[in-house]
Amino acid sequence: MTSREWLAVAVPLVPAASAVLVGIAPRRAIANLGLVAACLSGIVATALAVAAIVDADDPVSGDWLVVDATAGLFVGVIGVVGLASALTSRSYLGTARTELVRPERGARLYYGTFLAFWAVLVAVPLAGNLGIAWLLIEATTAASALLVGFSGRATAIEAGWKYLVLTTLGLGFALLGIVLVAPEVEGGLGGLSWNSLASIQTGSDQLSAAFVLLLGGLAAKIGWAPVHNWLPDAHSEAPPPVSALLSSALLPAVLVVAWRSDRALAPAVGEDLAQGLLVAFGLVSLAFAVPFLWRSLAWKRLLAYSSLEHMGVLALGFAFANPLALAGVAVHVCGHAIAKALGFYAATPLLTHVPSAGGRAATGVARTAPGLGASMGISLGTLAGLPPSPLFVSEVLIVAGGFAAGRPWEAATAAILLALGFLGLGHALLETVAGKARRREPGPPHGLRPVLALTVVGTAALLALTIVAPWLPGSDLVEAMLEVA
Amino acid sequence: MTGFLAWLLVASGLAVVVVRRRSLVVGIVTAQALVLAVAALVEAETTDDAVAGGALALRAVLLAVLFAGVVARTRERVPVHARVPPLLRGGLAVVLALALVWLVPEIGLDSPDAERAVLTLIAFGVATAGLRRATVLQVLGIVLVENGLALAALELPGEESAAGIEIGVAIDLVLISAVAIVFHQRIFGLFGTGDTAALRTLRD
Repeated sequence: MTSREWLAVAVPLVPAASAVLVGIAPRRAIANLGLVAACLSGIVATALAVAAIVDADDPVSGDWLVVDATAGLFVGVIGVVGLASALTSRSYLGTARTELVRPERGARLYYGTFLAFWAVLVAVPLAGNLGIAWLLIEATTAASALLVGFSGRATAIEAGWKYLVLTTLGLGFALLGIVLVAPEVEGGLGGLSWNSLASIQTGSDQLSAAFVLLLGGLAAKIGWAPVHNWLPDAHSEAPPPVSALLSSALLPAVLVVAWRSDRALAPAVGEDLAQGLLVAFGLVSLAFAVPFLWRSLAWKRLLAYSSLEHMGVLALGFAFANPLALAGVAVHVCGHAIAKALGFYAATPLLTHVPSAGGRAATGVARTAPGLGASMGISLGTLAGLPPSPLFVSEVLIVAGGFAAGRPWEAATAAILLALGFLGLGHALLETVAGKARRREPGPPHGLRPVLALTVVGTAALLALTIVAPWLPGSDLVEAMLEVA
Repeated sequence: MTGFLAWLLVASGLAVVVVRRRSLVVGIVTAQALVLAVAALVEAETTDDAVAGGALALRAVLLAVLFAGVVARTRERVPVHARVPPLLRGGLAVVLALALVWLVPEIGLDSPDAERAVLTLIAFGVATAGLRRATVLQVLGIVLVENGLALAALELPGEESAAGIEIGVAIDLVLISAVAIVFHQRIFGLFGTGDTAALRTLRD
């Protein structure tokens, strides 16, 4: 095995082994053990991401494992967001308590499930096989649903239940699609590798139906409209570090599987269906998200609807699949992950500062807590695509990619919807950060220090992304991503 | 697959949609999975085929133990009202199944009976999850969908084995069911009933 293959094995193994250790460790050691495990897991994931991107022209592509530039990019994002989520988890656990298990077992349940979720999640982009990818995606549901309902409050349980039932049903349809694709290739489960799927040349109604079922089923997990009902609830009710991991890492990771399936089966089902389905999910998701971005929503719920918008943008980028659009996708995945994670991390101090922010929009946060207001402002400004946000550049690249791909109407519609989304989030930005504060003497924001530190690092990373973005379309990274397309 | 077996699976699937008692539904979906497992073992030509049947049987027994345990621990004082009365529920499920059979083109399984049975079980599972309010019944709707998918995997044409798919799905389904049971117990603890009607506060 090559060094990259060893690293790829270590990437899920480190958090998985750590989850087991957390299960048996003494209670007072759990928080530190969780943090050390997260650091190790983050380092291994980043090392693999760097190796995969540096050796982008020489990918590992087997029946079970794929380590290419795309996998590297997403493993890197999961590693970084996972580590940052672990760093902010301690302050979250300091402010919250669980009613799902006895309080003294809360930290063990949290860190154990968190690391198990991470282990399965980080393996998703590395799966070289549609069947294995499906099994991993389904497994993420079990671990993350427990985390969504961690607080044990009625609303959290409702959100976790919806998430569990709706995504499992959706993935059931995806599995039916996989079962129907299986006879087209030889070798049982091992035959469902991306390479084998790409070798199917003759299309049929049966294969087209399988493809629609597969993508429609995965859409339920990605949170694409109109099968997104679980998303706003789960993201708003989960602990903030978990919401960050769900939005910044889980949704894009499943999107990669959808994209690999789409590209592998496109020769057989036809480009019109393969590209058209992604475009349809992208535009419908944008159209569903915009009205909610215009409404006055509680902070985490607003971020959740923004996830719906951004998954729509990524669907369009993957559908257009040319150098411009894929460069946009690469920037968008990273920029969205950083900005969205920052936004969710800010929710922990926000909810201690303005407790009513859990149920309705907070206003004028910068007036009563300038540091917290800055974090929220940077997050929301970036997500809105306010220049110099890298998401502004990525959205321009994706729309330009749409025109270059010969889909001017779809690109123009996307541009209009993005502009409307920008106006909605821009209004929310002004109200939340600089509006009139409702309470005169809000409580001190607890757990602000790690959020401020991450804001400084995150802002630097976002600016670096903006600077690098215009040079990406001709880069080795994008050329390697085009190999999948 | 014989036509009789396909009809048996479909009839038991319809029973899941209309039957009121949770314990009876647990028994029906378990019996379905065991029938599928026995059929797989009887028709097994390779070790892999036998492993697929064994995985299905093991999954059926594990889920039966899990669900029977939770039904016994969380007895409802009054049975949870379904959202829709049984006759209408059954009618809607049949309409959904007919629509699915009509909409989905030939899917390439060994026999047309198996194809129709697969799609019907999936439709009945979705109808159960969507139309029943009891938490345990919603999850059993998912198990019914997975039974349909297990049938599809076993009826794939050619010599390809379904062992990998069956084992993976069995592990995932047991995990999902275990988490669902944790949620059910919490819902029961909070509201004194496993009725999802209590979970309707999150709206925009």
